[in-house]
Amino acid sequence: MSDTLPTDPEARELLAGEYVLGTLDARQAAAVNAAMLTDSDLAEAVATWSRCLAPLSRLALPEAPPSDLWTRIEATLPANPRIIAAPVASRLSWLWRGWALGASLAAAVLAVIAFLPNAEQPAFMTVLVSDRASPAWIAQTDRLGAISLAAVRPAFGDPQPAAPDGRVMQLWGLHPGQAAPVSLGLLPRTPGRVTIPTPALRPVNDMLIEISLEPAGGSPTGRPTGPILFYGRLIEVPAPK
Amino acid sequence: MVEDDELAGLLARVAIGDRAALQAVYARQSTRLFGTAMAILRDRTAAADALQDAFLKLWQRAGQFDPKRGQAQAWIGQIVRHAALDAARARGREVLSDDPSLGDAAVDPTALDDLSAVEDGRRLRHCLRQLDEMPRQGIVLAFVHGLSHPEVAERLGTPLGTVKSWIRRGLLTLRECLA
Repeated sequence: MSDTLPTDPEARELLAGEYVLGTLDARQAAAVNAAMLTDSDLAEAVATWSRCLAPLSRLALPEAPPSDLWTRIEATLPANPRIIAAPVASRLSWLWRGWALGASLAAAVLAVIAFLPNAEQPAFMTVLVSDRASPAWIAQTDRLGAISLAAVRPAFGDPQPAAPDGRVMQLWGLHPGQAAPVSLGLLPRTPGRVTIPTPALRPVNDMLIEISLEPAGGSPTGRPTGPILFYGRLIEVPAPK
Repeated sequence: MVEDDELAGLLARVAIGDRAALQAVYARQSTRLFGTAMAILRDRTAAADALQDAFLKLWQRAGQFDPKRGQAQAWIGQIVRHAALDAARARGREVLSDDPSLGDAAVDPTALDDLSAVEDGRRLRHCLRQLDEMPRQGIVLAFVHGLSHPEVAERLGTPLGTVKSWIRRGLLTLRECLA
């Protein structure tokens, strides 16, 4: 997209308005789509125009769709939703309040194995860390392959594991030896605890788990497009004796 | 609005992978939404494809809906409009401006009365009435029927440059009025 978007406020406002109106051509519309990923002011202007003009939709005459359309839609829905349940408050965060910044990850993993309250015995787990190596999420999988994430209360001054307005955190998995991460779903806006019952990628030892910052709706390309906020590698947890 | 609260509740269930909730959204909204897509595409097969595309997006993005930032019905409608506009762009938006089914009802000034059913609609109608007839028609044709600038120009028998400037000025007037 070589188009440079206008910087003049009025021109930007009009661009957002015409995007919502639908009068931009495919190339311009794609340029706005792409720009909204990083330009939250533009995304906000588009959202405002959408709200303002939405009542105009009432001028289209209602018409019943073909009777088999729902059946068709249902047949094409992905078997596993890529969106993850809204979080409940993190029950693990108390564990981490006193967590020293310098504690080693090995110790973190051991602490989790030892103290994880009422959790299933995980098959794999890891601690996802930020680029400052501070623990941010505990990731674990159960014997059936479900992946659970629990947010860790961040140490003071570390990034909050929450996406800014208009952006979303997307979870990815990468099998060892593979080049292309696979999306495991979008995380809820607020940190907490989430479970992906049937992830798109089977958890295996040494699998890389990472969370990137993406535009609303998730990466448009199927690959991480934003910065990697947190990452970690799954390690196998021995089965209970 | 009770109806919209119910839709918002259904979207929250869709966000956690509840197919029955998506089907309930479809049952409540598909006639309205198919009308939205038909107004833009004027072809039942293409409109059905656009609606299918939009419901797949809803399935994947329902978690992005934030009731604090807008109404569920408008949010869903916008996903359908963009799916239909994308389809219209992909097929090159062949000009169908002499199509008799194209929007005479919608460019009739009295059609704006239909907007008064909802509070937001009343404000928008008030603001649209501050525009001159032709810019208003251009904006309605573009939004409701997905017409491009050249299509609006042909439809209204007006030079392209004039239409572009009408729409720009019309949008700025609307923004000021709605602010």
